Amino acid sequence: MRLKQDRMNSAERAKALFDYRKPDRVPISMIAPGFCCRNAGLPITVAYNDPQNNFYAMYWTAEQYGWDPIPQIVRHTVVETLDFGGDVRLPEGEYEGALVIKSFPVKSDSDVEALTMPDPGKTGMIGAALEYGRLQQAHGLPVTFVSRSPFTIASNICGLQQFCKWLIKKPELCERLMKVAIEHTFNVLQYWTDAFGAENIFVFMSSPSESNQVISPKQFEKFALPYHLIYHERLKTLGIKRFFFHVCGDQNANLPRLADASPWEHPSILSFGHEVNLEAAAQYFPKDIICGNIEPAVIQTGTAQQVYELAGANLESGKKIPGGFILSAGCELPIAAPACNVFAITKAVDDLGWY
Amino acid sequence: MASDERIGEILKAIRDAVVGYDDEACERLCRSALEEGVDPNRAVMEGLTGGMGIVGELYNKQEYFVPELLLCADALNAGLSVLKPHLKVENASEKGKLLLGVVEGDIHDIGKNLVKIMFEAAGWDVYDLGNNVAIAKFAEEQQKVNADIVALSALMTTSMLAMPKIIESLKAQSPGVKVLVGGAPLSQEIARRYGADAYAPDAVAAVKEAANLLGNVM
Repeated sequence: MRLKQDRMNSAERAKALFDYRKPDRVPISMIAPGFCCRNAGLPITVAYNDPQNNFYAMYWTAEQYGWDPIPQIVRHTVVETLDFGGDVRLPEGEYEGALVIKSFPVKSDSDVEALTMPDPGKTGMIGAALEYGRLQQAHGLPVTFVSRSPFTIASNICGLQQFCKWLIKKPELCERLMKVAIEHTFNVLQYWTDAFGAENIFVFMSSPSESNQVISPKQFEKFALPYHLIYHERLKTLGIKRFFFHVCGDQNANLPRLADASPWEHPSILSFGHEVNLEAAAQYFPKDIICGNIEPAVIQTGTAQQVYELAGANLESGKKIPGGFILSAGCELPIAAPACNVFAITKAVDDLGWY
Repeated sequence: MASDERIGEILKAIRDAVVGYDDEACERLCRSALEEGVDPNRAVMEGLTGGMGIVGELYNKQEYFVPELLLCADALNAGLSVLKPHLKVENASEKGKLLLGVVEGDIHDIGKNLVKIMFEAAGWDVYDLGNNVAIAKFAEEQQKVNADIVALSALMTTSMLAMPKIIESLKAQSPGVKVLVGGAPLSQEIARRYGADAYAPDAVAAVKEAANLLGNVM
């Protein structure tokens, strides 16, 4: 879908953002693999096990709503619970929207030392993600690599509740799990680099377990932040420059520490939940592109007019951000979001999003 | 029988052990309390529950987060396992009965577990249905338990869609029951639209909301 005054295509818009130039309008980006499947009349399991149909569902949905795939955010490349031998099943029924963990790979202290590194060529959903990446490359899109932060990956290997307790009682086990997490991530990233070339890869990371709804800013600084530094050192060593960081949930108390470190290449795309004020985010990260942050629950349960107004308020703040702005939902676009409400976001950009 | 001063010391030490998430100390202190003749109900209410009350305040002040809350609950449970066989049964549900679960389609139960911890610490009888609980199961269990409050939790926008159906079936079956909802995608507005009686943004607030619903303002 072309909006009424479009003077750029998505690739040109992305290039403008990364060159610190104003694009013609605010781009729209969504984390929406599940929504796209449902939008195309497909079961959401397609997002996990059918790269071909998932790709075209996402491709057409982006076209339908005027979204800009900067990058196209797909399901996880690294599914740590599965990759390390946990029991995971595909979503079923009317209300499941994500993979369901039946058991974690690590259940006790001794399981931590016994963990073995997965082989990227044979593990989890990496093969399906690789096939998806080939489709992206064939269509001239950046190849996305989707994972969580080392802290979040580690918490998903043993379960967040256990991980939280170990943070205080047995921090050495958490450290060990985070080292395993980063090793696995980079084993897969090396595999990705060999397959697609570093210059074509767009890394996406989310960090829900680090939110201040779970841990304190001190715990973030002590445990999570050091692994962000290591992560970006290694990303630079691989030669990967493009990075999209979804700072998931309420991380307001972490932002000063994250801003002091900001170890990624600039500009990167930093996406925030609706809990974070966009103007504050822009002040913390002046050299990066800010993305966000319409409250997902409102997109799902509100009226189109409410969504339009919320998107309009986001645009008013976002257009002033000097490093650039992308309009998005504050987290994954709800799978059951009404089509009219999703259209209201596009309409808001068409009416109010021009520079 | 210990002196009032000694009893006060023991109860404070139990509170400190809960707040300091020292499960071994808490267990040991609860044994000492029994040996020294402290009323076990007092040890629970003024020691363990008192300690968890302080933990709730620290959580509200953002001095404690989920890791601390979980470990404090472990300390409380360590002490409770010692005291429970000695408690007078009639006090068990003096605050109320809570039926609790994560709704169908959702396995994220850390928030629900925190709610359980805070309600148990506040002296409620808690019936925990676990996670990914089928819609019909809430009404079925409510028929057996006759809880004062049913608390529903969801982390996903997909699974929260089960809430209005659960609330509708609960209210149809037990018009007097109060329903409390919580979880990351929920809000006061959505709770109202779904037909819930109250919304709580976190576990500590949930206990207060429940007390308000029953008219026992804390």
